[in-house]
Amino acid sequence: MQPGLSFEQAPPISVPFRFFLTAPLFGMAAGLLLLWQGPEAFTSRWTSVALALTHLLAVGFMLQAMCGALLQMLPVAAGANIWQPRRVTHLTHAGLTIGTLLLVAGFLSETALLFRIAVPFMTISLGAFALIVLIALFRTPAQGPTIISLRIAVFGLVVTIALGATLASAFGWQLALPLTEITHVHAAWGLGGWSMLLVAGVAYLVVPMFQLTPPYPAWFTRSFSITLFFLLAAWSLTWLPLQRPDGLQVALACAAALLAMVFAAVTLRLQGQRRRKVTDPTLLFWRVAMAALVVAAAAVVLQQLNPGAEDYAGVPFLLGVLLMVGVFMPVISGMLYKIMPFLNWMHLQKIGRPGLVVPNMRQMIAEPRMMMQFRLHLAALVLLLGAVPLPWLVYPGAVALIASCIWLEWNLIVATRNFARFSRELEERLAKEQEG
Amino acid sequence: MSEERVIDGRGLMPPEPMELTLTALDTLPDGEELLLLLYVEPHPLYGILKQNGYTHRSQSRPDGTVEIHIKKA
Repeated sequence: MQPGLSFEQAPPISVPFRFFLTAPLFGMAAGLLLLWQGPEAFTSRWTSVALALTHLLAVGFMLQAMCGALLQMLPVAAGANIWQPRRVTHLTHAGLTIGTLLLVAGFLSETALLFRIAVPFMTISLGAFALIVLIALFRTPAQGPTIISLRIAVFGLVVTIALGATLASAFGWQLALPLTEITHVHAAWGLGGWSMLLVAGVAYLVVPMFQLTPPYPAWFTRSFSITLFFLLAAWSLTWLPLQRPDGLQVALACAAALLAMVFAAVTLRLQGQRRRKVTDPTLLFWRVAMAALVVAAAAVVLQQLNPGAEDYAGVPFLLGVLLMVGVFMPVISGMLYKIMPFLNWMHLQKIGRPGLVVPNMRQMIAEPRMMMQFRLHLAALVLLLGAVPLPWLVYPGAVALIASCIWLEWNLIVATRNFARFSRELEERLAKEQEG
Repeated sequence: MSEERVIDGRGLMPPEPMELTLTALDTLPDGEELLLLLYVEPHPLYGILKQNGYTHRSQSRPDGTVEIHIKKA
């Protein structure tokens, strides 16, 4: 098709794939832990098991996939080149994988030594990742709401890492710190400051692109990320010692939740206006995620307005399931089903030459396979939400979560194997033509 | 000057707009311009254009459409 066009900006395909293939393994581990512990897992958000579960999903699955996607996306979508992509990849992938194992083992065994190892290990690897990505994001000539949102998101990741390291140090060296307060702020920055803003920044780009919707309105993209950032920052300050203006804290938390709800509503509306009414697994995953975000934001507001809700252990479990299994895991699954085939296609183009037809994106993962994982994941979400009033549902919920992650992993392995097969076929065809 | 060739990629699923653009560039006569319409800035395409001796200029329309004018450097 095109004579020797080069795609040099993209890092090697192995860079993002190792993150994507690792993430579902931690999702499976979370499901197994839930299956093993049963309803015990959510008697309180402060149990070792609850903390281990949270980090299996938030770091093991979410952060793993998000870092891989960001390393890949920055050069391709934002024209931002990463310094030493291979080294950064090794360091980040090791930091995330070994770091998650250390944290989870630390929580489950309550061993201080594991936290003492995890703190420097994760702070250095993830801190370096955040710093290098932030530098790339400030050096790119590209502008626009995606870049601004990503910069704030990575800053949010830095805050999350710093607070997480503080908490883990408190466990490792028995420091007397206000753990409850720091945990609230750590979780809010991880889910709101980093994950939500990353999803928003990526959404401005990929929702119109892959779901064929009109663009996000300029008034929204101009104000959403920066407003959410300031709300989070102001809310965090209300947690400082001697600063307990409870009314202000509630108002800021509610405002942030309502803002997230606006993002979900705008996205759902855009999806309703898409120009080609094609319904593919990515669209369905995103619609479920946005619906879950509306419910999660409403739940946060209700929780804030009912101070007694804190004492009911079902509330944090409900919010955790809604946000991690309901919002971020579906968004990530939906994105992986676009990113992996697109990367395959782009790297196959590199091998090609005029007249040589490269397999198209749809041939990388069969749609019925992706739909099957969507159904499994939806079942996991519904069953785990049902486990709040009916605790025994946690068992089928955990099984569905494991099945969804196995299916996701298998689909990604299929995409990886198809890439290898297609590139071999292309090279063979090229070699034959040269002989002839 | 002959009429500008236009690829409207706004209703197409990636990577279709890029495929169409690269195919059209193969046959674009020197001095002529190709106009690509998208809702996003196509950074991967910019990299390819630069490395293959094409120049481009982009401007945004109020409705969010990005006009990308491409020609041989």
